[in-house]
Amino acid sequence: MSSPAVQIRSRVPRLAGSAVERARLTVVPRRRVRAARVPFVTLVSLVLLGGVIGLLLFNTSMQQAAFAATALESQAGSLSAREQTLRMELDVLRDPQRVAERAQAMGMVPAVSSPFIRLSDGKVLGIPKVATPLDNLRIRPKAPALPASLNPAPVVVDAPAEPGASGPRNGRGDGRNG
Amino acid sequence: MRPSRPQPPAGRPAVRRKRGSVHLRLRLGFLVIAMVLSIFGARLVQLQGIDPKSYAAMAAAEGLVEVTLPAARGDILDRNGEPLAASVDGLMVVADPYMTQDRAPELAKFLANRLDVDYFRTLNRLREKGSRFEFIARRVPSTVATDVVTATREAGFEGIATRPDPIRDYPAGDVAANLIGFMGTDEPLGGLERTFDTQLSGTDGSARYEIGGGNRLPLGESTIKRAVDGQDLRTTIDQDLQWFTQRVLRQTVEDSRGDSGFAVVMDTRTGELLALADHPTFDANRPLASPEADLGSRAMSDVYEPGSVEKVLTVSGLIDAGKVTPRTRLKVPGSLARQDRVIGDWFDHGLIRLTLAGVVAKSSNIGTVLAADKFADGQLRDYLSRFGLGQATNIGVRGETSGILPDPSIWTSQTQDRIAFGQSLSVNAVQMAAAVNTLANGGVRVSPSLVRGTATTDEGRRVGTDTTTTRRVVSERAARQTTLMMERVVDPEVGVAPGANVPGYRIAGKTGTAQRVGAECGCYDGSFTVSFAGFAPADDPRFTVYVVVQNPRNGGGGGSVAGPAFAKVMGYALRRYAVPPTGTRPSRLPVEW
Repeated sequence: MSSPAVQIRSRVPRLAGSAVERARLTVVPRRRVRAARVPFVTLVSLVLLGGVIGLLLFNTSMQQAAFAATALESQAGSLSAREQTLRMELDVLRDPQRVAERAQAMGMVPAVSSPFIRLSDGKVLGIPKVATPLDNLRIRPKAPALPASLNPAPVVVDAPAEPGASGPRNGRGDGRNG
Repeated sequence: MRPSRPQPPAGRPAVRRKRGSVHLRLRLGFLVIAMVLSIFGARLVQLQGIDPKSYAAMAAAEGLVEVTLPAARGDILDRNGEPLAASVDGLMVVADPYMTQDRAPELAKFLANRLDVDYFRTLNRLREKGSRFEFIARRVPSTVATDVVTATREAGFEGIATRPDPIRDYPAGDVAANLIGFMGTDEPLGGLERTFDTQLSGTDGSARYEIGGGNRLPLGESTIKRAVDGQDLRTTIDQDLQWFTQRVLRQTVEDSRGDSGFAVVMDTRTGELLALADHPTFDANRPLASPEADLGSRAMSDVYEPGSVEKVLTVSGLIDAGKVTPRTRLKVPGSLARQDRVIGDWFDHGLIRLTLAGVVAKSSNIGTVLAADKFADGQLRDYLSRFGLGQATNIGVRGETSGILPDPSIWTSQTQDRIAFGQSLSVNAVQMAAAVNTLANGGVRVSPSLVRGTATTDEGRRVGTDTTTTRRVVSERAARQTTLMMERVVDPEVGVAPGANVPGYRIAGKTGTAQRVGAECGCYDGSFTVSFAGFAPADDPRFTVYVVVQNPRNGGGGGSVAGPAFAKVMGYALRRYAVPPTGTRPSRLPVEW
């Protein structure tokens, strides 16, 4: 920075020393222009304030979102559990066994034949046949046989006929047997 | 600019002397500061250098939650997407007896009313001494469990809580239970559930996050590893047809007082199993209520001799080899003495003149043996092997037997005589159904399948409809001619199984009444396996149905026991899939000459 000045000085002849001394250039002190402080401070304060408030609001909204997320999550959980329970109930309702039991309770029987009408010539294919209760399917397991102790073989006793005691003695026996 | 210090006041030197010199005080001060700082330093080294994690962990534990995200188990579906096995979010209701024992009777009454639990058992659990964890109810649907626990809180009870406890639900109970299997507390214990567990179970995920006041902290730590849900397994089973088949089978086995039975319904063209029924069966929701022997699939694991049904395979082989035609004339004596024993027929007769069609229609063992004599060495075994006998079907059912087709080394002419009419060889039901289906499918065997698409078993084998293979076993002509002969079996005048007719349709079938090998003696014990296999419509087959009843005690044979069951199942399948009758005239092949 100082080297050009040195060179210049060295080139100046040492003749008019005093004149040179007088004419030596000095740096003019820069005029300091004082920028107005108020707008700057206001700006900085506003930025700071805005930042702080913005951050606060942002945080608050994130917290709000977290609350909302928790609430929605639990709602989603209970709704999906509800959906699954309903689906389970639906599956129970459309269980073929249940449908068949309801149908039989209403007096329905499985079809024994299903003829087709051929649309091209109106011919009936197959043999139309009415299903009767005899065609019913047993859809429940047969009740298990009673064990021997509960279902004893009938005891047959050959009672010798008493002489003179044959035939009904009175009307009661007949009435019972009906 | 050095500020000029005011001169100390005059009285100061006296004080300084009392407190010691400035240097001394400074040194002491520095010493104290150095000691304090070195304590701080030591603490710093301890916290950051020696044991850096403990405080971090303590801080993190405060409010950090770690949960497993359970993977949903895949459903097992039927061919229409109806669930045969489904997973439901469930909860277990648990109690802390320490907190519940004071009001145990009231609480037990409350729970017994709301949940399906026993009052006395619950009461004992609520009062268990020294315990802090007791199950009250397991596998409760989560809505029910949550409602009950909320209600207990509102009623002022304490110590009742819930924990996750997934439920495996089998909506149709016993429908296809023998195939699907069932779940134990933690793992699958049988059937497709176990075979395809890798595909069904999926992988659990996990989540770590911080919570404050029950809410997830927005900027806190949050790591989520998503659970990979299990994939559904789609079977070829038709739920309604399976149900119908099971009910018909149960009625048949019960009415004939048989030991057990199984029935197979197969799509002729694709080899898909529409129904594979077993009796006795079990309720998949309560597997422990049934004997262990009933928990598997007898249709796949029971090895039995097929009996006369096998005759159609022998006969089709003979026609394919060009040895006979349906009109080949045979003189069938009342009994036939062969090398080691006398072969008889199921009905008494003198010398009768039957065509080959008559031999099939009347199911004559002697006629079949006489016809099978025309085979060259090894030819019959070769045909049966190509029909798939003696080889596992590998459809993905556990415990499948591959049946027994005697090895060529022990294949004698006596063996061949018996095998020609279906004894001395053993099969499983799906194997046999696939073999008969070969004739329905014009002589081309389609490998049976139970899984739609493809799936990998726990043994690493890929199974499913995508892996279906076909191979020609007999010529189309041989298959068609055998079919025409099989139609005579259900003819009311000449056949043995008029009960197997489905009105309006052309039915081709074959009865089977085989002597059965008893488990104790390892010999024919006088009991029988009766069966009926057939397909319809005979001139354009769509379904093959095979019904087998083990050891019927009502004296019935294949035609009278299994035949009507076949007719019901086949009729239902034809109606359900809207297969119209072909309207052509049934076979009139002569049976006698």
